[in-house]
Amino acid sequence: MTMMLTLAVSAGAVDGGGSLTSVVDPKPLLRELQGKMSAVTSLYLEFTQERQLKLFTEPLKSEGVMLIDRPDQIRWETTAPYQSILLGNHKSVAQFERTDGQWKKLKLGFPQMLKRVMEQMTLMNQGKLDGLTNEFNVSVATGSVTVVTMVPLDENVRAMLASLEVTMRPDFSATLEVVMNEPGGDLTRIRFTREKRGVKFPPETFDQTKPLDVAAVKAAVGDGM
Amino acid sequence: MECKLFMLSLVLLVGGCATKPTSQMSPPATAFPPEAFITQRGVLTVLGRQFTLNGYLARSATQGQRLVVTENFGNVLADVLIKPTGETFVMKSSRAFKPRWIHDYMATDVRCLFGGARAGECPGTQLSPTHFVIHRRWYQLDLSIVATQRGPQAAALFDATQAEKR
Repeated sequence: MTMMLTLAVSAGAVDGGGSLTSVVDPKPLLRELQGKMSAVTSLYLEFTQERQLKLFTEPLKSEGVMLIDRPDQIRWETTAPYQSILLGNHKSVAQFERTDGQWKKLKLGFPQMLKRVMEQMTLMNQGKLDGLTNEFNVSVATGSVTVVTMVPLDENVRAMLASLEVTMRPDFSATLEVVMNEPGGDLTRIRFTREKRGVKFPPETFDQTKPLDVAAVKAAVGDGM
Repeated sequence: MECKLFMLSLVLLVGGCATKPTSQMSPPATAFPPEAFITQRGVLTVLGRQFTLNGYLARSATQGQRLVVTENFGNVLADVLIKPTGETFVMKSSRAFKPRWIHDYMATDVRCLFGGARAGECPGTQLSPTHFVIHRRWYQLDLSIVATQRGPQAAALFDATQAEKR
């Protein structure tokens, strides 16, 4: 669950050139982050996800978009190599799969679990990282980018997730990358691009009965294909 | 007599339901490259509830087939190796998929889709060259092939000595 939660935080191509300096007390920076993100009413991001398993020589790749609209709407859509839409708000979640050119709504097996994940994703994208200090040891390093590293306090969680690294621009104006490190060396890297804040989504964007096609959403937010 | 007929009808009715004739998929052994990495997306329906899964299959004509199954967010739920002889090794199981299930069902489904299945063990339908539906008593698996990368796979993938201890 905690691993899934990490998907929430957005991030992108990281400037690996500069050296980073650890911040002694991360709380002021985390407060600043939350302050900045609390002003963000909506968020549009495109992502590429790479799952690196030691077993395979090549990473397992997927790509898509993540959309967030205050107060609680979220849409996580995978557009390649398959098409799938996850939608959530404080009341419910829905999932759609596209097969043979047709979207089908699924009868979800564990809607409560997915709902919790989607809620966490929303909260994380509101920059509410300070609230996670009960569950994580949070540290921050700054330089050409800002990296927030979270290490689970719970040993059981740590058995699945060694650490979570969120990389942002120094002024928190965009999240660049999220890396979820697993104890055995496997990891998931999500790079975010084309971040747009304060966009106006068409009303059907988060419709859990018939969500608007992603191409129409992109066109509406000025990111036509 | 009437009672016997009623019982016979009941048996036929119940038996008929349980053994409803289902089409068998012909294992498309030649439909996929013998050396390849094949990405799949599946919807598993169990007791009316649906779960999405990703499948990653490494295929070698001489060393076997290795399937890794993950959930939406990438966590590995199952990992199974099937040697060309049919011998099956559960490399990793999870709370979602127990070793027995992986060994008995998942490995069979791999054989049904990618070759090596025995006659009669693949109840299902091939809807297109890349879209299959397997119907079993306990579940239905709707599976699409979403990407195929041709080429030899690393020999280490087919090393059964790394199998999970059972």
